[in-house]
Amino acid sequence: MTGAPELALNNLGLSYPQRGSEAEVVALRDITASFPAGSFTALVGPSGCGKSSLLRLLAGLLSPTQGDMSAVTQSDIGFVFQEPTLLAWRSVYENVALPLKIANRKSGLRAQEIDTRVREALTLVGLETRAKALPRELSGGMKMRVSLARALAKRPPILLMDEPFAALDELTRFRLDDDLRAIWQRQKPTIIFVTHSVTEAAYLAERALVIRAGSLHAEIKIERPKKHTDNFRAAPNFHAACAAISQALADPKEGTS
Amino acid sequence: MRAFLLRLIPLGVGIAMLGIWELSVHLTQVPIFVLPPPSAIGHALVDNFATLMGSLWVTLRITALAFFWALVSGLALAIIFTRARLIELALYPYVVTLQVTPVVAIAPLILIWVGFDNVDRALVIIAWIVAFFPMLTNAVQGLRSTEPQLHDVMTLAGASWWQRLYYLELPAALPAMLTGAKISGGLALIGAVVAEFVAGSGASTGLAWRIIEAGNRLEIATLFAALALLSALGIALFYALTLLEWLVLRRWHDSFAKSP
Repeated sequence: MTGAPELALNNLGLSYPQRGSEAEVVALRDITASFPAGSFTALVGPSGCGKSSLLRLLAGLLSPTQGDMSAVTQSDIGFVFQEPTLLAWRSVYENVALPLKIANRKSGLRAQEIDTRVREALTLVGLETRAKALPRELSGGMKMRVSLARALAKRPPILLMDEPFAALDELTRFRLDDDLRAIWQRQKPTIIFVTHSVTEAAYLAERALVIRAGSLHAEIKIERPKKHTDNFRAAPNFHAACAAISQALADPKEGTS
Repeated sequence: MRAFLLRLIPLGVGIAMLGIWELSVHLTQVPIFVLPPPSAIGHALVDNFATLMGSLWVTLRITALAFFWALVSGLALAIIFTRARLIELALYPYVVTLQVTPVVAIAPLILIWVGFDNVDRALVIIAWIVAFFPMLTNAVQGLRSTEPQLHDVMTLAGASWWQRLYYLELPAALPAMLTGAKISGGLALIGAVVAEFVAGSGASTGLAWRIIEAGNRLEIATLFAALALLSALGIALFYALTLLEWLVLRRWHDSFAKSP
Protein backbone atom coordinates (compact mmCIF):
# COMPACT_ATOMS: atom_id res chain seq x y z
CA MET A 1 0.00 0.00 0.00
CA THR A 2 1.23 3.44 -0.74
CA GLY A 3 1.23 6.38 1.59
CA ALA A 4 0.63 4.44 4.78
CA PRO A 5 1.22 6.90 7.60
CA GLU A 6 3.13 5.95 10.67
CA LEU A 7 0.94 5.68 13.73
CA ALA A 8 2.33 7.09 16.96
CA LEU A 9 0.81 7.07 20.41
CA ASN A 10 2.14 9.36 23.08
CA ASN A 11 1.23 8.76 26.75
CA LEU A 12 -2.21 7.74 25.68
CA GLY A 13 -4.76 7.16 28.41
CA LEU A 14 -8.44 6.27 28.50
CA SER A 15 -10.71 6.39 31.51
CA TYR A 16 -14.44 6.67 31.91
CA PRO A 17 -16.78 7.34 34.81
CA GLN A 18 -18.09 4.33 36.62
CA ARG A 19 -21.82 3.94 37.05
CA GLY A 20 -22.86 4.67 40.62
CA SER A 21 -19.40 5.57 41.83
CA GLU A 22 -17.12 8.58 42.06
CA ALA A 23 -14.06 6.63 40.99
CA GLU A 24 -13.12 6.41 37.33
CA VAL A 25 -12.36 3.20 35.53
CA VAL A 26 -8.95 3.41 33.93
CA ALA A 27 -8.99 1.33 30.77
CA LEU A 28 -5.59 2.39 29.42
CA ARG A 29 -2.72 4.37 30.90
CA ASP A 30 0.50 5.86 29.53
CA ILE A 31 0.63 3.96 26.28
CA THR A 32 3.55 5.11 24.18
CA ALA A 33 4.15 3.15 21.02
CA SER A 34 4.65 3.59 17.33
CA PHE A 35 3.52 1.51 14.41
CA PRO A 36 5.71 2.07 11.34
CA ALA A 37 4.09 1.97 7.93
CA GLY A 38 3.74 -1.60 6.67
CA SER A 39 4.49 -3.22 10.01
CA PHE A 40 2.60 -6.16 11.48
CA THR A 41 2.02 -5.86 15.22
CA ALA A 42 0.11 -8.16 17.53
CA LEU A 43 -1.47 -6.77 20.68
CA VAL A 44 -1.58 -9.60 23.21
CA GLY A 45 -3.12 -9.67 26.64
CA PRO A 46 -5.72 -11.31 28.82
CA SER A 47 -9.42 -10.48 28.47
CA GLY A 48 -10.26 -7.05 29.83
CA CYS A 49 -6.69 -5.73 29.66
CA GLY A 50 -7.67 -2.88 27.35
CA LYS A 51 -6.33 -4.18 24.05
CA SER A 52 -9.68 -3.85 22.29
CA SER A 53 -10.10 -0.33 23.70
CA LEU A 54 -6.69 0.56 22.29
CA LEU A 55 -7.77 -0.68 18.89
CA ARG A 56 -10.99 1.32 19.05
CA LEU A 57 -8.94 4.41 19.97
CA LEU A 58 -6.75 3.85 16.93
CA ALA A 59 -9.86 3.56 14.76
CA GLY A 60 -11.31 6.77 16.13
CA LEU A 61 -14.32 4.93 17.58
CA LEU A 62 -13.20 6.16 21.02
CA SER A 63 -11.35 9.33 21.99
CA PRO A 64 -8.43 9.28 24.40
CA THR A 65 -8.90 11.09 27.69
CA GLN A 66 -5.15 11.66 28.02
CA GLY A 67 -2.13 12.02 25.80
CA ASP A 68 -2.23 12.25 22.05
CA MET A 69 -1.92 10.20 18.93
CA SER A 70 -1.17 10.88 15.30
CA ALA A 71 -4.25 11.88 13.40
CA VAL A 72 -5.69 9.18 11.18
CA THR A 73 -8.64 9.60 8.89
CA GLN A 74 -11.19 6.86 9.08
CA SER A 75 -11.04 6.34 5.36
CA ASP A 76 -7.45 5.08 5.88
CA ILE A 77 -8.66 2.37 8.22
CA GLY A 78 -10.02 -1.08 7.60
CA PHE A 79 -11.50 -2.62 10.72
CA VAL A 80 -12.28 -6.28 11.27
CA PHE A 81 -14.41 -7.08 14.30
CA GLN A 82 -14.44 -10.18 16.43
CA GLU A 83 -17.84 -11.06 15.00
CA PRO A 84 -18.41 -10.97 11.22
CA THR A 85 -20.92 -8.07 11.73
CA LEU A 86 -22.54 -8.47 8.32
CA LEU A 87 -25.89 -7.12 7.20
CA ALA A 88 -28.05 -10.24 7.15
CA TRP A 89 -30.30 -8.90 4.39
CA ARG A 90 -27.51 -8.14 1.94
CA SER A 91 -25.53 -10.55 -0.17
CA VAL A 92 -21.83 -11.17 0.27
CA TYR A 93 -21.11 -8.87 -2.65
CA GLU A 94 -23.33 -6.08 -1.30
CA ASN A 95 -21.85 -6.38 2.17
CA VAL A 96 -18.35 -5.93 0.80
CA ALA A 97 -19.42 -3.10 -1.48
CA LEU A 98 -21.38 -1.17 1.15
CA PRO A 99 -18.56 0.87 2.78
CA LEU A 100 -17.35 1.85 -0.70
CA LYS A 101 -20.86 2.87 -1.73
CA ILE A 102 -21.27 4.91 1.44
CA ALA A 103 -17.87 6.56 1.12
CA ASN A 104 -18.66 7.22 -2.53
CA ARG A 105 -20.58 10.30 -1.42
CA LYS A 106 -17.22 11.90 -0.65
CA SER A 107 -14.66 9.97 -2.68
CA GLY A 108 -16.65 9.79 -5.91
CA LEU A 109 -15.57 6.29 -6.92
CA ARG A 110 -17.03 5.10 -10.18
CA ALA A 111 -19.43 2.17 -10.00
CA GLN A 112 -17.03 0.19 -12.16
CA GLU A 113 -14.14 0.89 -9.81
CA ILE A 114 -16.24 -0.26 -6.84
CA ASP A 115 -17.07 -3.46 -8.71
CA THR A 116 -13.39 -4.09 -9.48
CA ARG A 117 -12.38 -3.59 -5.88
CA VAL A 118 -15.13 -5.78 -4.47
CA ARG A 119 -14.29 -8.63 -6.85
CA GLU A 120 -10.61 -8.26 -6.09
CA ALA A 121 -11.25 -8.38 -2.33
CA LEU A 122 -13.51 -11.41 -2.70
CA THR A 123 -10.82 -13.15 -4.75
CA LEU A 124 -8.22 -12.35 -2.09
CA VAL A 125 -10.27 -14.15 0.55
CA GLY A 126 -11.30 -16.94 -1.83
CA LEU A 127 -15.00 -16.18 -1.96
CA GLU A 128 -15.39 -15.00 -5.56
CA THR A 129 -17.86 -17.80 -6.27
CA ARG A 130 -20.10 -16.98 -3.29
CA ALA A 131 -20.73 -13.33 -4.16
CA LYS A 132 -24.50 -13.81 -4.37
CA ALA A 133 -24.89 -15.84 -1.17
CA LEU A 134 -26.55 -14.37 1.90
CA PRO A 135 -24.59 -14.40 5.17
CA ARG A 136 -26.78 -17.05 6.72
CA GLU A 137 -25.88 -19.49 3.95
CA LEU A 138 -22.19 -19.31 4.91
CA SER A 139 -20.12 -21.05 7.57
CA GLY A 140 -18.53 -19.07 10.42
CA GLY A 141 -15.14 -19.05 8.70
CA MET A 142 -16.65 -17.85 5.41
CA LYS A 143 -18.52 -15.04 7.15
CA MET A 144 -15.26 -13.94 8.72
CA ARG A 145 -13.67 -13.94 5.26
CA VAL A 146 -16.47 -11.68 4.01
CA SER A 147 -15.78 -9.36 6.92
CA LEU A 148 -12.09 -9.35 6.01
CA ALA A 149 -12.92 -8.70 2.35
CA ARG A 150 -15.10 -5.77 3.38
CA ALA A 151 -12.13 -4.23 5.21
CA LEU A 152 -9.73 -4.96 2.33
CA ALA A 153 -12.00 -3.55 -0.39
CA LYS A 154 -11.32 -0.07 0.95
CA ARG A 155 -7.63 -0.76 0.21
CA PRO A 156 -6.82 0.73 3.57
CA PRO A 157 -3.22 1.54 4.45
CA ILE A 158 -4.05 0.51 8.01
CA LEU A 159 -5.82 -2.69 8.96
CA LEU A 160 -7.07 -3.02 12.53
CA MET A 161 -8.24 -6.46 13.60
CA ASP A 162 -9.96 -7.21 16.88
CA GLU A 163 -9.57 -10.94 17.64
CA PRO A 164 -11.05 -11.66 14.22
CA PHE A 165 -10.53 -15.41 14.23
CA ALA A 166 -11.06 -16.09 17.93
CA ALA A 167 -14.48 -17.64 17.49
CA LEU A 168 -13.40 -20.06 14.75
CA ASP A 169 -12.20 -23.64 15.02
CA GLU A 170 -8.45 -24.09 15.05
CA LEU A 171 -8.02 -25.48 11.53
CA THR A 172 -10.05 -22.65 10.00
CA ARG A 173 -8.09 -20.21 12.09
CA PHE A 174 -4.75 -21.60 10.88
CA ARG A 175 -5.90 -21.26 7.29
CA LEU A 176 -7.08 -17.69 7.77
CA ASP A 177 -3.83 -16.84 9.58
CA ASP A 178 -1.89 -17.99 6.52
CA ASP A 179 -4.20 -16.08 4.19
CA LEU A 180 -3.75 -12.95 6.23
CA ARG A 181 0.05 -13.32 6.13
CA ALA A 182 -0.15 -13.71 2.35
CA ILE A 183 -2.32 -10.62 1.98
CA TRP A 184 0.02 -8.63 4.19
CA GLN A 185 3.07 -9.71 2.23
CA ARG A 186 1.45 -8.80 -1.04
CA GLN A 187 -0.05 -5.42 -0.05
CA LYS A 188 1.95 -4.38 3.02
CA PRO A 189 -0.71 -2.52 4.97
CA THR A 190 0.07 -1.63 8.56
CA ILE A 191 -1.65 -4.39 10.52
CA ILE A 192 -2.48 -4.18 14.19
CA PHE A 193 -3.92 -7.49 15.29
CA VAL A 194 -5.49 -7.98 18.70
CA THR A 195 -5.46 -11.51 20.03
CA HIS A 196 -5.37 -13.36 23.32
CA SER A 197 -3.64 -16.30 21.69
CA VAL A 198 0.11 -16.40 22.28
CA THR A 199 0.73 -18.75 19.38
CA GLU A 200 -1.36 -16.71 16.94
CA ALA A 201 0.57 -13.56 17.86
CA ALA A 202 3.92 -15.31 17.46
CA TYR A 203 2.88 -16.92 14.21
CA LEU A 204 1.54 -13.80 12.52
CA ALA A 205 3.37 -10.71 13.64
CA GLU A 206 6.79 -9.16 13.45
CA ARG A 207 6.34 -7.74 16.89
CA ALA A 208 4.11 -8.41 19.87
CA LEU A 209 3.05 -5.76 22.35
CA VAL A 210 1.98 -7.33 25.63
CA ILE A 211 -0.71 -5.33 27.41
CA ARG A 212 -1.60 -5.97 31.02
CA ALA A 213 -4.08 -4.09 33.19
CA GLY A 214 -4.26 -1.18 30.77
CA SER A 215 -0.56 -0.52 30.30
CA LEU A 216 2.07 -1.62 27.87
CA HIS A 217 3.98 -4.35 29.64
CA ALA A 218 6.50 -5.59 27.11
CA GLU A 219 7.53 -5.33 23.49
CA ILE A 220 8.78 -8.52 21.90
CA LYS A 221 10.38 -8.69 18.48
CA ILE A 222 9.70 -11.88 16.59
CA GLU A 223 12.59 -13.07 14.45
CA ARG A 224 11.21 -14.73 11.37
CA PRO A 225 12.45 -15.84 7.96
CA LYS A 226 11.97 -13.45 5.03
CA LYS A 227 9.65 -15.81 3.26
CA HIS A 228 6.69 -17.02 5.27
CA THR A 229 5.66 -20.67 5.21
CA ASP A 230 3.54 -22.62 7.62
CA ASN A 231 6.74 -24.46 8.61
CA PHE A 232 7.32 -21.51 10.86
CA ARG A 233 5.21 -23.28 13.47
CA ALA A 234 8.03 -25.79 13.85
CA ALA A 235 10.86 -23.23 13.83
CA PRO A 236 12.89 -22.52 17.00
CA ASN A 237 12.26 -18.78 16.55
CA PHE A 238 8.50 -19.37 16.76
CA HIS A 239 8.90 -21.28 20.02
CA ALA A 240 11.25 -18.66 21.39
CA ALA A 241 8.70 -15.95 20.58
CA CYS A 242 5.90 -17.94 22.21
CA ALA A 243 8.03 -18.42 25.30
CA ALA A 244 8.90 -14.72 25.48
CA ILE A 245 5.27 -13.62 25.10
CA SER A 246 4.07 -16.18 27.64
CA GLN A 247 6.71 -15.05 30.06
CA ALA A 248 5.73 -11.41 29.67
CA LEU A 249 2.11 -12.35 30.26
CA ALA A 250 2.98 -14.31 33.40
CA ASP A 251 5.66 -11.94 34.70
CA PRO A 252 4.69 -10.92 38.25
CA LYS A 253 6.43 -7.57 37.86
CA GLU A 254 4.07 -4.74 36.89
CA GLY A 255 4.91 -1.83 34.62
CA THR A 256 6.88 -1.51 31.41
CA SER A 257 9.90 -3.74 31.02
CA MET B 1 -49.11 -33.18 1.24
CA ARG B 2 -49.45 -33.89 4.95
CA ALA B 3 -48.93 -30.20 5.69
CA PHE B 4 -51.67 -29.36 3.19
CA LEU B 5 -54.07 -31.80 4.84
CA LEU B 6 -53.26 -30.31 8.23
CA ARG B 7 -54.19 -26.92 6.83
CA LEU B 8 -57.61 -28.32 5.94
CA ILE B 9 -58.41 -29.21 9.55
CA PRO B 10 -59.64 -25.71 10.54
CA LEU B 11 -61.85 -25.68 7.43
CA GLY B 12 -63.34 -29.04 8.42
CA VAL B 13 -63.98 -27.78 11.94
CA GLY B 14 -65.74 -24.72 10.53
CA ILE B 15 -68.01 -26.75 8.25
CA ALA B 16 -68.87 -29.13 11.09
CA MET B 17 -69.73 -26.23 13.41
CA LEU B 18 -71.97 -24.66 10.76
CA GLY B 19 -73.71 -28.00 10.27
CA ILE B 20 -74.35 -28.42 14.01
CA TRP B 21 -75.59 -24.82 14.18
CA GLU B 22 -78.01 -25.30 11.28
CA LEU B 23 -79.29 -28.57 12.66
CA SER B 24 -79.77 -27.41 16.24
CA VAL B 25 -81.62 -24.27 15.15
CA HIS B 26 -84.06 -26.42 13.18
CA LEU B 27 -84.43 -29.00 15.94
CA THR B 28 -84.94 -26.54 18.82
CA GLN B 29 -87.02 -24.12 16.72
CA VAL B 30 -85.29 -21.03 18.10
CA PRO B 31 -87.01 -17.95 16.65
CA ILE B 32 -85.15 -16.60 13.62
CA PHE B 33 -84.83 -13.13 15.21
CA VAL B 34 -82.85 -14.67 18.09
CA LEU B 35 -80.55 -17.03 16.25
CA PRO B 36 -80.91 -17.46 12.50
CA PRO B 37 -79.46 -20.62 10.93
CA PRO B 38 -76.41 -20.27 8.63
CA SER B 39 -78.63 -20.84 5.58
CA ALA B 40 -80.74 -17.77 6.48
CA ILE B 41 -77.56 -15.72 6.96
CA GLY B 42 -76.43 -16.84 3.53
CA HIS B 43 -79.76 -15.75 2.07
CA ALA B 44 -79.51 -12.39 3.82
CA LEU B 45 -76.03 -11.94 2.41
CA VAL B 46 -77.25 -12.65 -1.13
CA ASP B 47 -80.42 -10.54 -0.78
CA ASN B 48 -78.58 -7.50 0.59
CA PHE B 49 -75.43 -8.06 -1.43
CA ALA B 50 -75.25 -4.63 -3.05
CA THR B 51 -75.90 -2.70 0.19
CA LEU B 52 -73.53 -4.86 2.19
CA MET B 53 -70.76 -4.54 -0.40
CA GLY B 54 -71.24 -0.78 -0.37
CA SER B 55 -70.91 -0.82 3.41
CA LEU B 56 -67.90 -3.12 3.21
CA TRP B 57 -66.27 -0.62 0.89
CA VAL B 58 -66.95 2.26 3.32
CA THR B 59 -65.46 0.37 6.28
CA LEU B 60 -62.55 -0.87 4.20
CA ARG B 61 -61.76 2.66 3.09
CA ILE B 62 -61.80 4.04 6.65
CA THR B 63 -59.69 1.11 7.87
CA ALA B 64 -57.19 1.44 5.04
CA LEU B 65 -56.80 5.20 5.48
CA ALA B 66 -56.42 4.89 9.26
CA PHE B 67 -53.90 2.07 8.78
CA PHE B 68 -51.96 4.04 6.20
CA TRP B 69 -51.69 7.07 8.47
CA ALA B 70 -50.83 4.84 11.42
CA LEU B 71 -47.92 3.40 9.42
CA VAL B 72 -46.70 6.78 8.19
CA SER B 73 -47.07 8.65 11.48
CA GLY B 74 -45.81 5.72 13.60
CA LEU B 75 -42.70 5.32 11.49
CA ALA B 76 -42.03 9.03 11.15
CA LEU B 77 -42.42 9.62 14.87
CA ALA B 78 -40.24 6.57 15.60
CA ILE B 79 -37.48 7.96 13.40
CA ILE B 80 -37.71 11.35 15.13
CA PHE B 81 -37.76 9.73 18.59
CA THR B 82 -34.70 7.62 17.90
CA ARG B 83 -32.77 10.59 16.54
CA ALA B 84 -33.72 13.20 19.11
CA ARG B 85 -33.91 11.94 22.66
CA LEU B 86 -35.17 15.33 23.83
CA ILE B 87 -38.21 15.25 21.56
CA GLU B 88 -39.01 11.74 22.71
CA LEU B 89 -38.71 12.84 26.34
CA ALA B 90 -41.02 15.78 25.67
CA LEU B 91 -43.69 14.00 23.63
CA TYR B 92 -43.80 10.42 24.82
CA PRO B 93 -46.07 10.99 27.86
CA TYR B 94 -48.67 12.62 25.61
CA VAL B 95 -48.50 9.83 23.10
CA VAL B 96 -49.14 7.40 25.95
CA THR B 97 -51.99 9.57 27.23
CA LEU B 98 -53.60 9.50 23.80
CA GLN B 99 -53.22 5.75 23.74
CA VAL B 100 -54.57 4.94 27.22
CA THR B 101 -57.56 7.30 27.16
CA PRO B 102 -60.48 5.18 25.89
CA VAL B 103 -61.11 6.28 22.32
CA VAL B 104 -64.87 6.00 22.79
CA ALA B 105 -64.57 8.82 25.29
CA ILE B 106 -62.65 11.09 22.91
CA ALA B 107 -64.71 10.24 19.85
CA PRO B 108 -67.63 12.65 20.47
CA LEU B 109 -65.15 15.54 20.69
CA ILE B 110 -63.50 14.55 17.46
CA LEU B 111 -66.88 14.23 15.77
CA ILE B 112 -67.78 17.73 16.90
CA TRP B 113 -64.45 19.23 15.95
CA VAL B 114 -63.89 17.70 12.54
CA GLY B 115 -66.99 15.63 11.87
CA PHE B 116 -69.46 18.38 11.18
CA ASP B 117 -68.76 18.80 7.52
CA ASN B 118 -66.87 15.56 6.97
CA VAL B 119 -67.81 12.54 9.08
CA ASP B 120 -65.40 10.26 7.22
CA ARG B 121 -62.46 12.38 8.26
CA ALA B 122 -63.52 12.10 11.90
CA LEU B 123 -63.91 8.34 11.57
CA VAL B 124 -60.44 8.00 10.07
CA ILE B 125 -58.93 10.06 12.90
CA ILE B 126 -60.66 7.94 15.56
CA ALA B 127 -59.51 4.70 13.94
CA TRP B 128 -56.02 6.14 13.54
CA ILE B 129 -55.79 6.92 17.28
CA VAL B 130 -56.57 3.29 18.02
CA ALA B 131 -54.16 1.93 15.42
CA PHE B 132 -51.01 3.97 15.55
CA PHE B 133 -49.46 3.19 18.94
CA PRO B 134 -48.26 -0.39 18.24
CA MET B 135 -46.67 0.80 15.02
CA LEU B 136 -44.81 3.53 16.89
CA THR B 137 -43.55 1.40 19.76
CA ASN B 138 -42.52 -1.51 17.55
CA ALA B 139 -40.73 0.78 15.11
CA VAL B 140 -38.90 2.53 17.96
CA GLN B 141 -37.88 -0.78 19.43
CA GLY B 142 -36.78 -2.05 16.01
CA LEU B 143 -34.75 1.04 15.21
CA ARG B 144 -33.05 0.82 18.60
CA SER B 145 -32.19 -2.86 18.45
CA THR B 146 -29.49 -2.61 15.82
CA GLU B 147 -26.22 -4.31 16.76
CA PRO B 148 -23.78 -1.68 18.10
CA GLN B 149 -20.93 -3.13 16.02
CA LEU B 150 -22.93 -2.63 12.84
CA HIS B 151 -23.16 1.02 13.85
CA ASP B 152 -19.36 1.00 14.16
CA VAL B 153 -19.15 -0.35 10.62
CA MET B 154 -21.29 2.58 9.48
CA THR B 155 -19.20 5.07 11.47
CA LEU B 156 -15.98 3.73 9.96
CA ALA B 157 -17.49 3.99 6.50
CA GLY B 158 -18.30 7.64 7.20
CA ALA B 159 -22.05 7.18 6.82
CA SER B 160 -24.34 10.19 7.11
CA TRP B 161 -27.39 9.90 9.34
CA TRP B 162 -29.71 9.06 6.49
CA GLN B 163 -27.30 6.49 5.05
CA ARG B 164 -27.20 4.88 8.48
CA LEU B 165 -31.00 4.92 8.51
CA TYR B 166 -31.40 3.61 4.99
CA TYR B 167 -28.69 0.95 4.89
CA LEU B 168 -28.78 -0.24 8.48
CA GLU B 169 -31.53 0.86 10.84
CA LEU B 170 -34.62 0.57 8.64
CA PRO B 171 -33.82 -2.90 7.28
CA ALA B 172 -32.80 -4.07 10.76
CA ALA B 173 -36.07 -2.71 12.13
CA LEU B 174 -38.21 -4.36 9.43
CA PRO B 175 -39.16 -7.45 11.46
CA ALA B 176 -40.33 -5.33 14.40
CA MET B 177 -42.08 -2.86 12.08
CA LEU B 178 -43.97 -5.65 10.34
CA THR B 179 -45.06 -7.02 13.71
CA GLY B 180 -46.26 -3.53 14.60
CA ALA B 181 -48.05 -3.25 11.25
CA LYS B 182 -49.85 -6.54 11.82
CA ILE B 183 -51.17 -5.34 15.18
CA SER B 184 -51.98 -1.87 13.82
CA GLY B 185 -53.87 -3.36 10.87
CA GLY B 186 -56.19 -5.31 13.17
CA LEU B 187 -56.64 -2.30 15.42
CA ALA B 188 -57.45 -0.01 12.48
CA LEU B 189 -60.44 -2.22 11.70
CA ILE B 190 -61.53 -2.26 15.34
CA GLY B 191 -61.07 1.51 15.42
CA ALA B 192 -63.17 1.94 12.28
CA VAL B 193 -66.01 -0.11 13.78
CA VAL B 194 -65.83 1.78 17.09
CA ALA B 195 -65.86 5.06 15.19
CA GLU B 196 -68.91 4.07 13.18
CA PHE B 197 -70.71 2.98 16.35
CA VAL B 198 -69.97 6.31 18.01
CA ALA B 199 -70.93 8.33 14.96
CA GLY B 200 -74.19 6.40 15.10
CA SER B 201 -75.93 7.58 11.99
CA GLY B 202 -75.76 10.13 9.24
CA ALA B 203 -73.42 10.04 6.34
CA SER B 204 -71.51 6.99 7.51
CA THR B 205 -72.94 3.72 6.24
CA GLY B 206 -70.22 1.20 6.93
CA LEU B 207 -70.64 -2.36 8.16
CA ALA B 208 -70.84 -1.33 11.81
CA TRP B 209 -73.69 1.01 10.93
CA ARG B 210 -75.40 -1.88 9.09
CA ILE B 211 -75.06 -3.97 12.24
CA ILE B 212 -76.77 -1.32 14.39
CA GLU B 213 -79.47 -0.80 11.78
CA ALA B 214 -80.15 -4.53 11.38
CA GLY B 215 -80.23 -4.94 15.16
CA ASN B 216 -82.79 -2.19 15.51
CA ARG B 217 -84.96 -3.82 12.88
CA LEU B 218 -84.46 -7.30 14.36
CA GLU B 219 -83.02 -8.45 11.03
CA ILE B 220 -80.61 -10.71 12.83
CA ALA B 221 -79.65 -12.66 9.72
CA THR B 222 -78.50 -9.45 8.03
CA LEU B 223 -76.67 -8.52 11.21
CA PHE B 224 -74.82 -11.83 11.07
CA ALA B 225 -74.05 -11.32 7.39
CA ALA B 226 -72.46 -7.94 8.14
CA LEU B 227 -70.57 -9.49 11.03
CA ALA B 228 -69.25 -12.25 8.78
CA LEU B 229 -68.04 -9.65 6.29
CA LEU B 230 -66.26 -7.74 9.07
CA SER B 231 -64.49 -10.91 10.17
CA ALA B 232 -63.56 -11.70 6.59
CA LEU B 233 -62.12 -8.22 6.22
CA GLY B 234 -60.04 -8.62 9.39
CA ILE B 235 -58.79 -12.04 8.32
CA ALA B 236 -57.91 -10.81 4.84
CA LEU B 237 -55.98 -7.88 6.33
CA PHE B 238 -54.08 -10.12 8.73
CA TYR B 239 -53.09 -12.66 6.10
CA ALA B 240 -52.16 -9.98 3.59
CA LEU B 241 -49.72 -8.56 6.15
CA THR B 242 -48.46 -12.02 7.06
CA LEU B 243 -47.82 -12.65 3.37
CA LEU B 244 -45.98 -9.35 3.10
CA GLU B 245 -43.86 -10.28 6.11
CA TRP B 246 -43.00 -13.61 4.53
CA LEU B 247 -42.12 -12.00 1.19
CA VAL B 248 -39.87 -9.41 2.80
CA LEU B 249 -38.15 -11.48 5.48
CA ARG B 250 -38.04 -15.09 4.31
CA ARG B 251 -34.70 -14.82 2.56
CA TRP B 252 -32.66 -13.52 5.46
CA HIS B 253 -34.49 -13.47 8.75
CA ASP B 254 -33.89 -16.22 11.30
CA SER B 255 -37.59 -16.60 12.06
CA PHE B 256 -38.04 -18.07 8.58
CA ALA B 257 -34.96 -20.29 8.66
CA LYS B 258 -35.66 -23.89 7.73
CA SER B 259 -34.80 -26.15 10.61
CA PRO B 260 -32.01 -28.56 9.61
